[in-house]
Amino acid sequence: MIILEVTTPVSSVSTVLFFGTIGMLALTIGLIVFIIFHQRKVIRYQMKLQRMEQDQQKLLLNASIRLQEEERQRIAADLHDDAGPLLATARLYLNENLVNLDKTSQLQSIYNAKQIIDDTIQLIRNISHSLMPPTLKNFGLESAVNDLFQKISGSGSMNASSRFHDYRERLQTENELIIFRVIQELINNILKHSNASFIHLTQNTSGNKFFIRLHHDGRGITQNDFNKLNKSNVGLGLKNIQSRLKVLHGKIFFEKDMSQTYYKVTIELIKEEDNKLAEQD
Amino acid sequence: MLLSIALVSEILPIIFYLIFLKRNRGEGLWVIFLYSLLSFLTELLFFGMVRRQIIYSCFDIIEFTLFSFFFYSSLEKKKFKLIPVIGAVIFYIVASINFTSKSFGSLSASLESILIIPYCILLLYEQIQDPTIIFVYYNKKFWVIIAFLLYFSAVLFLYIYYNSLSSEQRSNYWAINNFFEILKNILICVAFIMKKDVQRSYLTDNLDPDI
Repeated sequence: MIILEVTTPVSSVSTVLFFGTIGMLALTIGLIVFIIFHQRKVIRYQMKLQRMEQDQQKLLLNASIRLQEEERQRIAADLHDDAGPLLATARLYLNENLVNLDKTSQLQSIYNAKQIIDDTIQLIRNISHSLMPPTLKNFGLESAVNDLFQKISGSGSMNASSRFHDYRERLQTENELIIFRVIQELINNILKHSNASFIHLTQNTSGNKFFIRLHHDGRGITQNDFNKLNKSNVGLGLKNIQSRLKVLHGKIFFEKDMSQTYYKVTIELIKEEDNKLAEQD
Repeated sequence: MLLSIALVSEILPIIFYLIFLKRNRGEGLWVIFLYSLLSFLTELLFFGMVRRQIIYSCFDIIEFTLFSFFFYSSLEKKKFKLIPVIGAVIFYIVASINFTSKSFGSLSASLESILIIPYCILLLYEQIQDPTIIFVYYNKKFWVIIAFLLYFSAVLFLYIYYNSLSSEQRSNYWAINNFFEILKNILICVAFIMKKDVQRSYLTDNLDPDI
């Protein structure tokens, strides 16, 4: 400062002062304008992100509601179309005229009614099992997945196998149900759309993460396809997977194997204790 | 003319602070009110006293102390808070050396400008980083910062070269000081007049920054 004062000749002081002041003001005004516009830009971008997230949430919620409605309709149809006629038939066998019939006919009617009631019990049991698989409830995810895969392999059209590497302790029942539903949905998609000849599922953990990987040799989707389908109005099952995984703070990745032969789906979940901490945060 | 307006403008922040006392309570702007009051009283004293330089030196020190306190209390990060403290120490050393000088305290005034400008930028930076502040210009302190930033940027070169100017040049260039003094006081008035919760109500009504 002192050097500036001493070294500048008096005649040019005026010029330096004038341009210095103008320069400082220009810089200051430029800075203020930049801050205001930059902030507006950042806010606009954040709002855009927020809006996109809201839209995504809306789509997921709609998918979840639609799926719930479809499930209810299916149960209603099962009860109405199957259990209803069965019980009505049983009622016919057990009508008031039964007392007027001879002993043999009476026994035959009671036997038929019993058979129909047994069928109805089995039907209701099936509906109940589809809502909450008993294997999953009693023996855990590994058994439920093995059970499901055995049924698929049993059909003979596809080879399905699973291997759980690190599943010594069971997860919470409701979390296992969510994971099982996600696996079911993925398997369902593979069966419906991929034309695969095999499905292989592996489970392992790494640090605080729980991984489930599905490989198949059919036609699959990549992460880009998944993101696109998630943003569109189609792909109800995928949206349902997304909304279910959101509950567990989980992630899902769709990719093609390094060899470009198989499609791979990876479900990544945070272990329960960490998950609780994440929820608290 | 400009000098008279500048003098009158000194009283405006005091009046508006007292009128809108409720709006400014708890905003940490009492320091700025004290500064405005001090500035006004100094101008009054300036006309009645012979040893003007002493008044200016005292004013400079108190003014810088108030500014340092304002920035110290406004800055949130601990490492940033250190900067006004270090700046104040440097300023006090320079000001005490320059205290008995018979001419205008160009050195201390320039140093004050040099220190206040980065403080303002620092506080602005912190404000745009703060997620609770949606739009900086809805914040009272933003207008105070802008007032000081513009004022000190405008007068920095004037203060540096003040002792090198002829008396005619001084009176000509002092208009810069007067003009930006008026602008600073107007901007401080804006800060004092602004509603306290304008940002919150704005947010609940509309989030679009274009409006």
